[in-house]
Amino acid sequence: MSDYAAGLRRGGPGLALWGMAMLVAAEATLFGTFVGTYYYLRFESVHWPSPGTSEPRVVVPLIMVGILITSSIPMHLAARAVRRGRLWTTRLLLAWALAVQCGYLAWATHDYVQQLHHSAPQDNAYSSIYYVLLGADHAHVAIGVLLVVWLLWKLTRGLTMYRLNATQAIAFYWHAVNALTLIVLGVLLSVRL
Amino acid sequence: MLALAGCGGEQDTLNPHSHASTDIANLFWVMTAVAVGGLALITGLLVFAWVRRGRRGFGGDPDDPHPGERPAWFVVVGMGVVFPLVVIVALFIAGNWAIINVTQAPAASSTAMTVDAIGHQWYWEFRYPGTKAVTADELHIPVDTRVNLVATTADVIHSFWVPALNRKVDAIPGRQNRILLYANEPGVYRGQCAEFCGLQHAHMGMLVFVQPRAQFRAWLRQQAAPAAAPTTALARRGRQVFLSGPCSSCHAIRGTTARGYVGPDLTHLASRTTLAGVTIPDSRSYLSRWIVDSQHFKPGNEMPDFRLTGSQLSSLVAYLESLK
Amino acid sequence: MTTAVYEERLERMWRSRPGFLGWAMTTDHKRIGLLYFWTTLVLFAAGGAEALIIRTQLAQPNQHVVGPATYDELFTLHGVTMIFFFIIPMTTGAFGNYLLPLMIGARDMAFPRMNALSYWVFLASGIFVYTSLFIGQAPNAGWFDYVPLASAKYDPGHAIDFYCLGIIFNGIASSLTAANFIVTILKLRAPGMSFNRMPLFCFAFLAASWGLLFALPSLTADAIFLFLDRNVGTHFFDVAKGGSTLLWQHLFWIFGHPEVYILIVPAFGIATEIIPAFTQRRVVAFPLVAVAELLVVFIGFGVWAHHMFATGMPTVTVIFFAAATGIVVIPSTIQVFAWCMTFITGRARFKTPLLFIAGFIFMFVAGGLTGIMFLAVPFDQQVTDTYFVIAHFHYIIFGAAVFPIFGGMYFWFPKVTGRLYFELPGQISFWIIFVGTNLLFFPMHIVGLEGMPRRNYTYSSGLGWGSYNLAETIGSYITTVGIVVLLVNLVVSYFRGPPAGADPWHGATLEWTISSPPPEYNFAVIPKVSSAYANWDYADREEDRRKLAEGIMVLEQGHEQPVSAPVDGWLAEIVEMPHDSPWPILLALAMSIVFVLLLLHLWTGVCFALAGIVLALLGWHGEEPQESEA
Repeated sequence: MSDYAAGLRRGGPGLALWGMAMLVAAEATLFGTFVGTYYYLRFESVHWPSPGTSEPRVVVPLIMVGILITSSIPMHLAARAVRRGRLWTTRLLLAWALAVQCGYLAWATHDYVQQLHHSAPQDNAYSSIYYVLLGADHAHVAIGVLLVVWLLWKLTRGLTMYRLNATQAIAFYWHAVNALTLIVLGVLLSVRL
Repeated sequence: MLALAGCGGEQDTLNPHSHASTDIANLFWVMTAVAVGGLALITGLLVFAWVRRGRRGFGGDPDDPHPGERPAWFVVVGMGVVFPLVVIVALFIAGNWAIINVTQAPAASSTAMTVDAIGHQWYWEFRYPGTKAVTADELHIPVDTRVNLVATTADVIHSFWVPALNRKVDAIPGRQNRILLYANEPGVYRGQCAEFCGLQHAHMGMLVFVQPRAQFRAWLRQQAAPAAAPTTALARRGRQVFLSGPCSSCHAIRGTTARGYVGPDLTHLASRTTLAGVTIPDSRSYLSRWIVDSQHFKPGNEMPDFRLTGSQLSSLVAYLESLK
Repeated sequence: MTTAVYEERLERMWRSRPGFLGWAMTTDHKRIGLLYFWTTLVLFAAGGAEALIIRTQLAQPNQHVVGPATYDELFTLHGVTMIFFFIIPMTTGAFGNYLLPLMIGARDMAFPRMNALSYWVFLASGIFVYTSLFIGQAPNAGWFDYVPLASAKYDPGHAIDFYCLGIIFNGIASSLTAANFIVTILKLRAPGMSFNRMPLFCFAFLAASWGLLFALPSLTADAIFLFLDRNVGTHFFDVAKGGSTLLWQHLFWIFGHPEVYILIVPAFGIATEIIPAFTQRRVVAFPLVAVAELLVVFIGFGVWAHHMFATGMPTVTVIFFAAATGIVVIPSTIQVFAWCMTFITGRARFKTPLLFIAGFIFMFVAGGLTGIMFLAVPFDQQVTDTYFVIAHFHYIIFGAAVFPIFGGMYFWFPKVTGRLYFELPGQISFWIIFVGTNLLFFPMHIVGLEGMPRRNYTYSSGLGWGSYNLAETIGSYITTVGIVVLLVNLVVSYFRGPPAGADPWHGATLEWTISSPPPEYNFAVIPKVSSAYANWDYADREEDRRKLAEGIMVLEQGHEQPVSAPVDGWLAEIVEMPHDSPWPILLALAMSIVFVLLLLHLWTGVCFALAGIVLALLGWHGEEPQESEA
């Protein structure tokens, strides 16, 4: 780097975080349209859920999502630790987050498949939007898990600016996914109101 | 295909024959006058700029990077914000407050009768609730009567539009959209499906016959009656061809065993003036050609071409011509 | 150390690989802009050919040039091509990519490899959609593809699947471009270029990019739902099972209306840079124009249901959208008067680019005035779905998007090629196109008012529509001639035009401070910026020359680029940019395979292809830009 650059301290988040913010904005809007679709179909329908389809369970999903969103704590702490160059702390925090996220993903996949034994997206409009909204959320969780796995693997080989930026961006991704999962759960459970 | 100018009126929004379309047409002329004025103003500014091209500002400091900025701001705010707002508010009031009560769906209690318009690929089915009358593509209504037109569809989205009488209304699956048809003089007015509905969207026209009340009642009575029994031997043979062949699987003729619902109801086919969505006249030669080669006139329509012997065809046509 | 030594170091550092591989692996925004430019011209020709066949078929009543099935494919492809494969990629992909970094004093986009990915994905989506035409399965339900006509029941086969998947695929390219533009405009401006000192071009592209980012997801969701309904058996749009027909329309137009602002706002940006150069005056009421460009896209998100006034929505809903439609007019009228006043108070030179901008203003105002008429709902309900609407939006799209594109081609031709175009043929091309487009689109107002619906492959004689249609067809041929003259002029000028030098127009913005064509690294010294018209700030340019000679802010020790704060523009850090890379084109290939397998319903194959995407991403993020060099 030029001498000129070496003396600079970075002010503010790097470009990677901005790029991730753009991705989150676009994905959040996509989920926004799914949620909008859910309520549009709901208010156009006399019966919701459509006849023949049961309402979703409340307690277990609430608990599991509650556990998932706690993973934002280690993700946030990892983003802070990596800025201070504390590589081992970062790795441990990420591993902790990954354990929670993998646990949730395993339950979520199992639960989704179980539900498909009782009803199908092809039954009616309610189950169509239900499975698409929930499935999209699980897909984003799965991608998040892959991102953390990749990050941990990269960090086994040391710390560079690129990996520091990646840690911050992926932490931000996870905060967004956690918030999204909570919102999706709220939407799907609102049928009980 | 022939010119059908003699068979029906124009489809001109600017040749209105009802309060609703008259109001819309008048509004259009006012808006056009304002629009022409606006375009003339902008063109004038551009021409003015061209005329004084090469000359800068209006005096003042030649090194000023913003010559005439203050007066220019006044123009931008005055003409770009204030004046358009005034025009838009006026237009909004004129268009959406003054007129909308004749163009929006009428209150059911304010209308004297109802007609159901059901869109099909590619014809209009018309029913008169309270009677057994069913017809296709040619609609009759009495003059000076508030008619509640209910538009629905049997398949894809269509749009019911008779410009001389009112604005268009879409026929959407699962919904009943309504408009008012209220003609103030007798005549024949042409309409057309106005939402792309597939291959023969272009040939989904309709005619509205506005008649004096007595004539309309007579027409409706006739339409509600079942088909007349054929009186000639030729026509009886034709009925046999119709009922034993594939015709009855797609078409209905009330008073016979034909109950098909794919194509239009033919009970009073001979009382109509056109065929195939106001595409061809309802004459003997066109009817014959339509039966054996409908794909020529309306390629892609649901009716296949039929192989009939000469005598089968002439008897069939004779029967259909008897269905007045 | 002299200027020449620094420039030579930069040139060595930023040089692309030679030959075909250099183009396939390029991340240089200028090369990517040129790739977009040529590709969109080819697709523009396709869309134009579709239009000419349509016009030929309609020239007289009851013709048989094409049958209804072909006609339906033609008008569908014409709309899809012109919007998704011409205007958006030409304004954002070609003009935006080439010019944005130059205008803000940067050496590349914020994400150069993602920029290349956008292009390859765009190209792949174009090939994907046009393959449908070559196998006789082109989309045929209109560019807005209403259900139930587009459902599996009424449109079996692959045509609409090509539409759904093609739209999603193309949308990915545009979303990536939008994200790239936003971060570039906010973070890569030369230090000192605070938010209020950026050229109006940048405001316009920022607005359009936010629009793309937030509008495309609605279309993507819509297309996903339709693909699922058609191929998996879901019921989003199936009324019998609790779905809704109008759901398609709402989601479509929530995208579709902002889309039309996305089409014209970048063109506004082009216009607002041509005008200062050819009037030698800063744009009147700069802050108002900048805010108006952002506002028009923002308000444009709130008006979508004015495309649905005939569908039977409740009156209260209809009134709300009519009112919002009225408000969205104001930012446009502000800009029109600001431009006209700049013309009048400046020293106007009506060279070809400015002629196109004058033509643009005329056509845009004409189209905008008919647009205002639509806020009178009963009138809208009479003329919606007729040729009156076609007239309206073609005056707007051709006038407000295509005219500035043509003007911009002439305007920046010297910068990109280093040669001047020939002025007289340029002016002639303008007048032919202007006459042609008015003859083509004006009669459509009349014939629409006389009852001619849109999307009719033919019409009866005796309705009085024949002579207007004939005039329109003649207008379409004249317009084509004008466009051919324009293109031939540019090609001949490329080979035989006189040398242009760095700044033939005495333009206002930073791209005119560097050579024509620009060097690979754009700016030898990161420029000092004090206003939005940097080329007219002579003291700053003098200071740049001094700094270059002394090696200050030359940043020649890597692929270096300053990053600044989004609002104030003070220098935050220096980053190392990626250079030539194979991963963008490889990732685009992997994505293409996924879309083809989805079309063919090979779901297991899709899973493997997704793994291919993961592998390409791993490769991509395996190459980290070097942090330091000796």
